[in-house]
Amino acid sequence: MTCTTSRHGKRFAIHYQLDFIYQKALKMASTFTVLYFASAHTYTGKSEDTVPGPMAISKLFPYLEEKYPGFRKKVLSSCALSVNLNYVDLIEDAEKEIQNGDEVGIIPPVSSG
Amino acid sequence: MEKFSLGSENLDLRIRIAELERELAEYRSGTVANSNGHATHAVNEDDEDEEEEDLAPQNQDDKAVRLDLDEFRRYGRQMIMSEVGLDGQLQLKRSKVLLIGAGGLGCPAAAYLAGAGIGTIGIVDHDLVEPSNLHRQIMHTVEKVGQPKVKSIISSLKRINPNPKYIAHNYALTPENSIDTLEKYDLVLDCTDSPQTRYMISDACILLGKPLVSASALRSDGQLVVLNNPPGEGPCYRCVFPRPPPPDSVLSCGEGGVLGPVVGAMGVLMSTEALKVLLSKADKKKRRKPAHLSPDIRPADAKDATKKEETPEPKKFYMTIYSAFSETPFRTIRMFGKRKTCQACSPVATITKESMKNGSLDYVAFCGGKGSGKYPPLRKDEIINVEEYNKLRENKEGGILIDVRDDIQFGMCALENSINVPITTILTLPIAPENDGTDGGERTPIPIPSWLPRDASIPIYFICRLGNDSRIAVQRLKKSGLVKGNVIKDIKGGLWEWSRKVDKSFPLY
Repeated sequence: MTCTTSRHGKRFAIHYQLDFIYQKALKMASTFTVLYFASAHTYTGKSEDTVPGPMAISKLFPYLEEKYPGFRKKVLSSCALSVNLNYVDLIEDAEKEIQNGDEVGIIPPVSSG
Repeated sequence: MEKFSLGSENLDLRIRIAELERELAEYRSGTVANSNGHATHAVNEDDEDEEEEDLAPQNQDDKAVRLDLDEFRRYGRQMIMSEVGLDGQLQLKRSKVLLIGAGGLGCPAAAYLAGAGIGTIGIVDHDLVEPSNLHRQIMHTVEKVGQPKVKSIISSLKRINPNPKYIAHNYALTPENSIDTLEKYDLVLDCTDSPQTRYMISDACILLGKPLVSASALRSDGQLVVLNNPPGEGPCYRCVFPRPPPPDSVLSCGEGGVLGPVVGAMGVLMSTEALKVLLSKADKKKRRKPAHLSPDIRPADAKDATKKEETPEPKKFYMTIYSAFSETPFRTIRMFGKRKTCQACSPVATITKESMKNGSLDYVAFCGGKGSGKYPPLRKDEIINVEEYNKLRENKEGGILIDVRDDIQFGMCALENSINVPITTILTLPIAPENDGTDGGERTPIPIPSWLPRDASIPIYFICRLGNDSRIAVQRLKKSGLVKGNVIKDIKGGLWEWSRKVDKSFPLY
């Protein structure tokens, strides 16, 4: 009796863990992460967002503007952008695609000191 | 950390002290040239001038710099590192470093640079010490409240290390005085607190060929980047952030707040980067000097020569961002090099020493400050309405249509055959001097940007979203004196009017 319950419980735990990993993988497979630094963090009130991908770099700012009205003019217009810790240029790299699982950094210029 | 084996360490120290005292005695008796053993030998390798005994670095250009015994003791802990060594230490002593700003970044940066034995340290600041500074500006103390910051910081630095020569620049850096101020130094640290000074210092460093360590901090965030390093190769501040932040989003530490250790950490990191830049010169000192800014001036064979000497691998550039409260506080972003269209450091740059010195570069306006708040009145013949311009276009008489919105907006929607030159670029155009012949002697010819027509018969039309920036553009281009004889007009009401009166399918936004 005790044997079966413990086996049952173990099975459940494994299922649970697998489910968690699948969920995470599923999320990774269809989204990328946007990290908000400095004033981007202040404006959104978040340190990151999960965004459905893939997405061309040129589409990211309009997407974020829709999510946070006024974001583009107040913050994004002067930001540097990185994809997987590589600086990307909004114009030259406009058509490059952000892949699912990528990590995008929104880096506003900090000028105080 | 050195508790264990105190006995043996004690003995070692005694022996070393005895040695040093013997050397000191020899030094005093004037036989120093031979008594320093390796040290003097190494010094001689790059010193032609033997008579330079004076340690006051008033003549820094002279390479004859050596260390006295006190300095061996003082700097020993860093000199025994392979990254420093005697050569490195001598290089530091030969170096002249300018810190712009004696605040939250400047204080820790200056403290470590002074401690490390930089030969000459200059500090620019025009502020007075305030009580609200003390939580982070660690070189200023309670009794110095009300004193000029440069005076306060130098007195503190002298207590850390009296050896360096300290130079106080007790004034605000302006476009007019920046060239003369920076010129005398080898390396610049931007420890300032506003976007306009950051662009200005970066431009000046590009024009003078000086590497620049730039850092900033606000609240719990910091940024650090080494610019124009090596000079002529690395990106500048404009390459990293081509568009200045909108003025209403810029907060000072007073407005946004700042955590002392965050800005302190950035200042400390700046001093590390500064030492790295200076020490790299020690390694390379027998090589050619860094390539000068304008590659087209160099003869072709010189270009080839540098290529052969340098490692084929391109130098990598990084920016470090610090978010103190993040789970991963430090991130390092790999940068690409210079921006091909950079206003300051690319081959199509329009910023010149002249335009900095004569004050025609309005950094406040560039950063959207009060300077740009007023829109210039234009004459009737400088304005064209959208219907008239549409007729001209239909007759293929549209000339050059320049859209001065930023590149993001231009990318959203634009008129066919229009070219994009953002207003921020136009504001960096030089202003032609009004009265010629006053000091025309050393004036260098102003490069004409590629987007301007060479043919005076081609009219130039400016357009923007609402018709304000395009007015500034008309006036600014005229002031630059770069075009002569062309018709230059503003399209009144901009794309908004265009959409309402000419093409309803053009997006209003």
